[in-house]
Amino acid sequence: MTGIINLYEAGKNEAFYVVSIPNIGLLESLGLRLGTKVAIQTRYMLGGPVLLCVEDSFLVAIGKDIATQIAVKEVTA
Amino acid sequence: MSCHDVKMDDHVLEKTNKILLMGNPNVGKSIFFTKLTGIHAMSSNYAGTTVTFTEGRFTIGDKAYTLIDVPGTYSMNPTSEAEAVALRFMESGASAIICVLNASSLERNLTLAMEITKYNIPVIYTLNMMDVAKRHGVHINIKQLEHDLGAPVIETVAVKGRGLDELVNKLEVLLGDVEEGCYKKCHRCEGCPWTAAKEINNRVSTRNNPTPSFLDRLGDSMLKPFPGLPIALLILAILVIVVAFGGRGLRVPLIMLTDNLIIPFFRRIFEGIFAFFVSDGGQLSYNFLYYDNGFQTGLRILVDGTFQTVAVGDYAAVTGFASMLLNILIGEYGIFVISFQWIIALIFPYVLAFYIAITFLEDSGYLPRVSVLFDNIMRKLGVQGGSLIHVFLALGCAVPAILGSRTATTKKERLMIVAIVCFTIPCISQIGALIALMSAFSWWMTPLMVLFAICLFIVVAFTAGKILKGKVDPLILEVPNLLIPEPKAYFRKLMARMKHFLRDAEFPMLIAVLISALLAGTGVIGIIAQNSAVQYVVSSWLGMPEEAVISLILGIVRREMSVAPLLLLNLTHLQAFVAGVVSLMYLPCLSVFGIVAKEFKIRVALTIFLGTIVSAIFVGGLINQIANLFI
Repeated sequence: MTGIINLYEAGKNEAFYVVSIPNIGLLESLGLRLGTKVAIQTRYMLGGPVLLCVEDSFLVAIGKDIATQIAVKEVTA
Repeated sequence: MSCHDVKMDDHVLEKTNKILLMGNPNVGKSIFFTKLTGIHAMSSNYAGTTVTFTEGRFTIGDKAYTLIDVPGTYSMNPTSEAEAVALRFMESGASAIICVLNASSLERNLTLAMEITKYNIPVIYTLNMMDVAKRHGVHINIKQLEHDLGAPVIETVAVKGRGLDELVNKLEVLLGDVEEGCYKKCHRCEGCPWTAAKEINNRVSTRNNPTPSFLDRLGDSMLKPFPGLPIALLILAILVIVVAFGGRGLRVPLIMLTDNLIIPFFRRIFEGIFAFFVSDGGQLSYNFLYYDNGFQTGLRILVDGTFQTVAVGDYAAVTGFASMLLNILIGEYGIFVISFQWIIALIFPYVLAFYIAITFLEDSGYLPRVSVLFDNIMRKLGVQGGSLIHVFLALGCAVPAILGSRTATTKKERLMIVAIVCFTIPCISQIGALIALMSAFSWWMTPLMVLFAICLFIVVAFTAGKILKGKVDPLILEVPNLLIPEPKAYFRKLMARMKHFLRDAEFPMLIAVLISALLAGTGVIGIIAQNSAVQYVVSSWLGMPEEAVISLILGIVRREMSVAPLLLLNLTHLQAFVAGVVSLMYLPCLSVFGIVAKEFKIRVALTIFLGTIVSAIFVGGLINQIANLFI
């Protein structure tokens, strides 16, 4: 399980590092950058967003379209 | 994204002795502002309450400063119109900055801090929301943080007023140092702000993971489809009950207040004034006796628009004129009677009930949770879930909702919000009047109206999504921690809103009623109503009585006025429903027109002006015509 996957498909409540992320100002300023630790808390049905816990400290909801463009790699403990 | 032109007064930028309150969205800047200046700035528990600045005078020692509550920004690379305002303030220079940091998500907040320090303006930091941070098991070494930032750091819990005195003291010292030229620039703040922020954060904060508190668990459950969706429906139901029944309950004491205190007060004043002007003592008592008996006659004369009978028989012309004036002012349907009865006894109770509920929701941090939960469904309609916060706000008043849409990241998203708000969302004043009108008929009229409004919302959102060019960005929204609103801050905000409402509503209402009295009194209303085109629209197409034309005229001034005059007419069920539909879709008030014209191009405002009027009359009439086929 060292493969790189897109964030939308990442397992729930597992920690991942961001390895590639689209260049969107708001993501960057919210602290979502290369190397940021994220974990999916909820994935909403009907093409809804994913709810991320960022750096174990705050919650950010991100639309599916963007989440699929973010590549992540599992944190190996 | 492109930065739109943000309209603001440039004179503020040019002021000297500015102190800027800066920080990420939703860190509590507005609370600091309110506490430091005594001027109430709206604050809520979600990002983007302050989209334009608020300024206030603030004295430290013997020197006066202008404190500015700058819209929250995540970085100095603006991603919305609101954030662009923050950048302009930074670039305009300032005596000092109070940079508010959220202790519970320090690293991200420090990134902005690093960017701010590059402007070489003296900074003082406040580490706010220390209570929430502690709840999450975060410990921050203040001494180390001060050392790393090279500036004073004060621990605060602004909503509870903790740490504010120390902030003012340290700020005075800082400003003194600056004046003496011994302010040291931060040396550590060169280079990449994120790396610096990460390094500092790693040095100063430690965290253990305590078992989540009840509030944290509740906040998380509200975000899961189950039980989040049932909770959302429950909260919506509570909101409806509070507004509909709470509003009705509150009317009882307010009717008593208006009828027994406010109106008699004005009656006495006006009678006093008239007693002074109108002839001698002996005649006077006779005159007033006559007024008391004659109020209704005098008034009916005005409403019907026939002037002739006003001449009061054997009275001198001046007395007759005075009697007429007194009737217009304070007679049974006089300006001061009607406007107070409508604003204070009819509309205000619903406004109060609504804000009691919505202010709680705002301050608790619940609204962004609804946005996230319903983003999938909204998305199908072409709307971003984040826009739901503005729609909720518009249920109170469309003006702050349209201003609030400045946080939208694309032009289309803003226009979608404006279209939905203007075409489909009634403001609470109008909702109050609508409930009063509908509930006078049958219990099912109000739910039917709500159902219609929901269908309308779907149709308008879908159509606007198709027509408007551009794109709506996918949702990116920070979800704040769930909080229990601080009672003092909560009541302060509620009071500010009620004051605001009474100030903004009573005067236009007086004007609107005055216009209606004049139109009726001079017979203009009769002339308008007799116009064949108007007659066709009002009577044949909409199936309303002729007098209803006054609602269409006054509805332009204020929204509830498109409903209130109808309360005096004897309508059928169908007429009431059609009137409700027309009012709902009709032009939002002049203030909304003004704000749309200011925020966008005049073309947008005119489109909305004509679009709402035409579609309201078209749909209302269509319902009337179709219903008539079956009745």
